[in-house]
Amino acid sequence: MRFLPHTDDDRRQMLQAMGVNAIDALFADIPREFHIAPGSLKLPPAASEAAIIRAFTEAAESNRHTGNHRYFLGGGTYHHFIPAVVDYVISRGEFLTAYTPYQPEISQGTLQALFEFQTMIARLTGMEVANASMYDAATATAEAALMARRITRRGKVLLAHSLNPRYRAVTAQYLSRLDGQVNALPCPEFDTDGAALATAIDDETACIIVQYPDFYGSVYDLGELRRACDAHGALLVVAFSDATAFGLITPPGAMGADIVVGSGQALGIPMGLGGPHIGLFACKQKFVRQMPGRVCGMTEDADGKRGFVLTLSTREQHIRREKATSNICSNQGLMCTANACYLALLGDAGLREVALRSAAALERLVQGLPPQISAARGPRYNETVLSFRDHEARQGFLTAARKAGIFAGIALEQIDTTADNRHLLVATTEMTEAEDIADYLTILEQST
Amino acid sequence: MNAANYSGTRGLMHEEPLLFERAHRASEAIALPGLADAEAPAALQAFLRNEEAGIPGLSEPETVRHFVRLSQWNHGIETGFYPLGSCTMKYNPRINEQLVRLPGLAHIHPDQPEDTVQGALALLYQLQHALGEISGLPHVSLQPAAGAHGELLGIMMIRAWHDKRGDHKRRIVLVPDSAHGTNPASAALAGMKTVEIKSAANGQIDLEVLRAHLNDEVAALMLTNPNTTGHFESNIAEICHLVHEAGGLVYGDGANLNAIVGKARPGDMGIDCLHINVHKTFSTPHGGGGPGAGPVAVNDTLAPFLPVPRIEKAKDAYRIVHEDEASIGPVFGSLGQVGVLLRATAYIAAFGREHIHRIAEDAVLNANYMLHRLESAYHVPFPGLCKHECLLTDAHQNRHGVKTLDIAKRLIDLGFHPMTVYFPLIVHGAMLIEPTETESRQAIDAFCDAMLEIAAACEQGDTEALHAAPLHPIRRRLDETQAARRPVLTWPKHSTGG
Repeated sequence: MRFLPHTDDDRRQMLQAMGVNAIDALFADIPREFHIAPGSLKLPPAASEAAIIRAFTEAAESNRHTGNHRYFLGGGTYHHFIPAVVDYVISRGEFLTAYTPYQPEISQGTLQALFEFQTMIARLTGMEVANASMYDAATATAEAALMARRITRRGKVLLAHSLNPRYRAVTAQYLSRLDGQVNALPCPEFDTDGAALATAIDDETACIIVQYPDFYGSVYDLGELRRACDAHGALLVVAFSDATAFGLITPPGAMGADIVVGSGQALGIPMGLGGPHIGLFACKQKFVRQMPGRVCGMTEDADGKRGFVLTLSTREQHIRREKATSNICSNQGLMCTANACYLALLGDAGLREVALRSAAALERLVQGLPPQISAARGPRYNETVLSFRDHEARQGFLTAARKAGIFAGIALEQIDTTADNRHLLVATTEMTEAEDIADYLTILEQST
Repeated sequence: MNAANYSGTRGLMHEEPLLFERAHRASEAIALPGLADAEAPAALQAFLRNEEAGIPGLSEPETVRHFVRLSQWNHGIETGFYPLGSCTMKYNPRINEQLVRLPGLAHIHPDQPEDTVQGALALLYQLQHALGEISGLPHVSLQPAAGAHGELLGIMMIRAWHDKRGDHKRRIVLVPDSAHGTNPASAALAGMKTVEIKSAANGQIDLEVLRAHLNDEVAALMLTNPNTTGHFESNIAEICHLVHEAGGLVYGDGANLNAIVGKARPGDMGIDCLHINVHKTFSTPHGGGGPGAGPVAVNDTLAPFLPVPRIEKAKDAYRIVHEDEASIGPVFGSLGQVGVLLRATAYIAAFGREHIHRIAEDAVLNANYMLHRLESAYHVPFPGLCKHECLLTDAHQNRHGVKTLDIAKRLIDLGFHPMTVYFPLIVHGAMLIEPTETESRQAIDAFCDAMLEIAAACEQGDTEALHAAPLHPIRRRLDETQAARRPVLTWPKHSTGG
């Protein structure tokens, strides 16, 4: 077996050195009744490397992917351009095959990359600090709710309907077994009304969680929410799905968010059928000791040289056990490096250009819509909802688009189960070419 | 740039500044696809960012050099032996990296039509089946993103099962004092009260203590087997029986599955629910801290509660089930850490039914061989057969003023990544060594030689190098107290280079 270095001779000699007859003697502590015979599990037979490549390639080629289809899909996962360098960097064995940097002297590469990542995520979201990542945006949102409860010592969490339904569901899941309540707040159709939401905040509210741009792509002002949170001592938690937005639009931190969470998938990570992505988590400096997850900090070594370590570990489960701020132990380490590398390659100017092109593509698509199709109103970043006459009209379009190699959008009710089945969630990025939009509109015109 | 010279190197040991200290090339955006000369839509004008974020843009060559230099400050399993107990740092096959980068697996959207991702779903379904077979617990959720996440899900399902039966007072989760810290933290997050149970003198579950803690408020026992001292809980059948008899369920922490994979199955022993760290047993890369994945396997009792979305096989197609009345709902925003899971699929396929048990055999052989070589020089708190890892302490070295931390740091100078230190918490000065099955005898012997050299130096009172260690890596011991007291978590915007 090619992953096992020992020869039979090695095994024999090692056993002999220990005075043991056979390897099975090393399993004598497992009661006999539980031993299973080698080869008895119902697994496929061992496959050669070539056979595995063939099987995976066949499976992969049976899928439709960005190499043969054009994508107008969002809903939390976006098809942005990924420079080749990003994948090269995270493929390097020193990043890829390292453990958590608990031995900082020999982990400065991971640690400095984490520090750079934290700095750039904080700057991008307009916040003071960021942690070294959470599993994904949905669990990061849930952790933000838990953190707000700890800080305020209150139990009520408000969730705007325009928050990605998956983030809502996971947050409700995390909170459902704890004391306190979770209230879902209605929103105008495919939009968020900050002033209306603000009226729900009261003196028992730990936090309100909104998404910006919201699940339907709407960009709106957070000012009323901030004021209401101040008036009632509640925290403003802002989630996001496509981090490229903040290359162009005012980040949540600049509008007073206390905690910002979201997905970093758009920053150099493949869609990969939903993972691994990365949950970003940023907050105000004064809250860091209530923050979940790993965090990297700057310090000095015994010679006074600058260096980095994982820090504030007294918040974490391996020290605090049941009293920890979270049960999280790992992070999405490699994805932090991917985000850091992507951001370094793009810089402010590149990121702004990605955002401009993503937003402009949506604008062009909406401007060209035929009269029988309506788009959600108001400022949007790179995502919106198209509404069709009825379900059949939408399905007819989706089918026609697929024939032309276009995934034209996500049937909204697939994610937002409360929605009618005649709406389509549509997203664009800098990968959306003028020709793609033209084709999209032509098919739309002809099929509806 | 003190000791380093004009190129930032000294003897080609690189010093590398932060990105923010490098020249900021704001005008040099990379060439992008899409709409050229794009302008911000009029409706967004009121929301435009009025200040740049301060993301330093570097040219491609500079970026590559920056990150390659950083990578060289790291130690990975590809660089050398990595005997972290409880972490299973085994070789990560390169073929798996190639496979998950196939465009048809990497560049697919979670919400594109099901019939256009059948190939990916088939591979994931294959993994569900394999994990069910290996664990002896046939129903599997691939959703948990990590081991701790799997624990949370498991306890949520166990609670749901009790609640479904109307047994709402079962809110206690028993956790041995040797358990991973995630166990009590996960149980607490699921709204349960954790009660720690003290291990017996041999580090294992004390049946009398367990009996004394079992009552009609106990929802579950969380158990790691082999436990965190590296020993198999030989009373496992009796333990599970006692818990079941008292109306509770047994949650298995699968962190140490590598010791028994293909040799014995947790489900056969009475475990009801088990998470499997695929980044341990099934060799997916640790990535400097993640991403991992922690699928959960359960028996028929808990199957109805498994989260959605999940993958099922219909007649001739795979489908993603999004809604299910009995399910506890989602714990993650998608099907799971798909790219990680696919690597595990490929790893299991490479071993197949003929060879899967050889993982555990060589892992256990290596650990026992190391124990044999080191037991004369180091204190072994729980003698006897170990499984995939062996536990030592610094008790002998303490007599010479040397602690576990010194030994760990000295190992770095001798060319090795240290073992896991100060865990489990039930022994003083713990050193937990897990060689895994992918290390050669030569590598294992070299590590043992280094350990014996350290022990000999202690005996000879030659401890200076131990206290000063490490002397040779890019940084020496770092001041963790300062880092925690005055946390600096980001680079200030006004500093050099912005």
